[in-house]
Amino acid sequence: MSDLEIWIVIIALAIATALTRSSFWLVGHKVTIPPRVQEMLRYAPSCALAAIIAPDLLLDGAGTVHLDLGNARLIAGIASVAWFAWRRRMLETIIFGMLIFTALRLLHLYQ
Amino acid sequence: MSNQDLATHDPAAWRDGFRTGLPTLFGIGAWGVVVGVAMIKSGLTVPQALGMTLLVFAGSAQLAALPLIAANAPVWVIFVTALVINLRFVIFSVLLAPHFASLPWHKRLGLGFVSGDISVALYLQRYPDPAPAPGKVSFLKGLLYPNCAAWQIGSIIGIFLGNAVPTDWGLGFAGTLAIVCILVPMVASKPALCGVLVAAVVSVLAADLPYKLGLLAAVVVGMVTAMIVEETGDKWRARREQDSKATHV
Repeated sequence: MSDLEIWIVIIALAIATALTRSSFWLVGHKVTIPPRVQEMLRYAPSCALAAIIAPDLLLDGAGTVHLDLGNARLIAGIASVAWFAWRRRMLETIIFGMLIFTALRLLHLYQ
Repeated sequence: MSNQDLATHDPAAWRDGFRTGLPTLFGIGAWGVVVGVAMIKSGLTVPQALGMTLLVFAGSAQLAALPLIAANAPVWVIFVTALVINLRFVIFSVLLAPHFASLPWHKRLGLGFVSGDISVALYLQRYPDPAPAPGKVSFLKGLLYPNCAAWQIGSIIGIFLGNAVPTDWGLGFAGTLAIVCILVPMVASKPALCGVLVAAVVSVLAADLPYKLGLLAAVVVGMVTAMIVEETGDKWRARREQDSKATHV
């Protein structure tokens, strides 16, 4: 793509972000959402977070699912859940998880 | 409560929001670094990459756009892909908008634009009820602004480090771990746990769908699952209560 085309793409991306993020904040009070739908939407944030991380934990670069011990991300992810459940400290968990992940990767234990 | 009270800056609530989000900032920043590096490695110039990170502020949409740019995809395809990836924010804004309906439109526009996944989740855990409460706006700002700053600083570092950071360090994994920590307390109820597990499975199975529709499909299917589990649970409980009443009569 040419420089101009890339800038057009960047503007298009900015518009897409603004449309999805802000539109309902602007017009939301004029729209009534049925209570049933509202109830269901309460689960949206947790489902979205799960949908964001699951592919990172389970898929490799080629899009193949890895549910085995060879998957360093999955192992480090599970270890982090355990660590967080025990310690309840987020930053500590992130550092712990990164150390496990890096150790597994460097040692090539599972490859 | 008047609009004035809702919008009044409340330093204590701001600090509370900041402290709540603080542990996630490290993961967010690391994620930003990854996106910054990815932009440079995919061939964007430094001004283009800076422009993208400052104007777009949507990590997953940016990452998805890079291969499409490299493949010379039409602008509308990239636009639609970004829309679909960000559609979950429409759902988030349905949840958040009633809390802040009384703010002036430009404030709502700005707050909406900088709202990220993690901030929204943390905010709703603290304030599930849309009724106006003092300090709400400041608490939200204490979450959103540092989150946005951490992201931008990370991105800019990534852009200037460019090719120096090897991708196999897997820095982006820090972002995933931050989300893991936020998810653990959120799945305390059975419906939420079922919804999250189903959303995870769907997102993996549907990862190859065009326009990244898999993410949206996962959110919708997960939500519906959680709702069904919740309603089935309610019905069972109601029946059990009826039964126990019947036996006691």
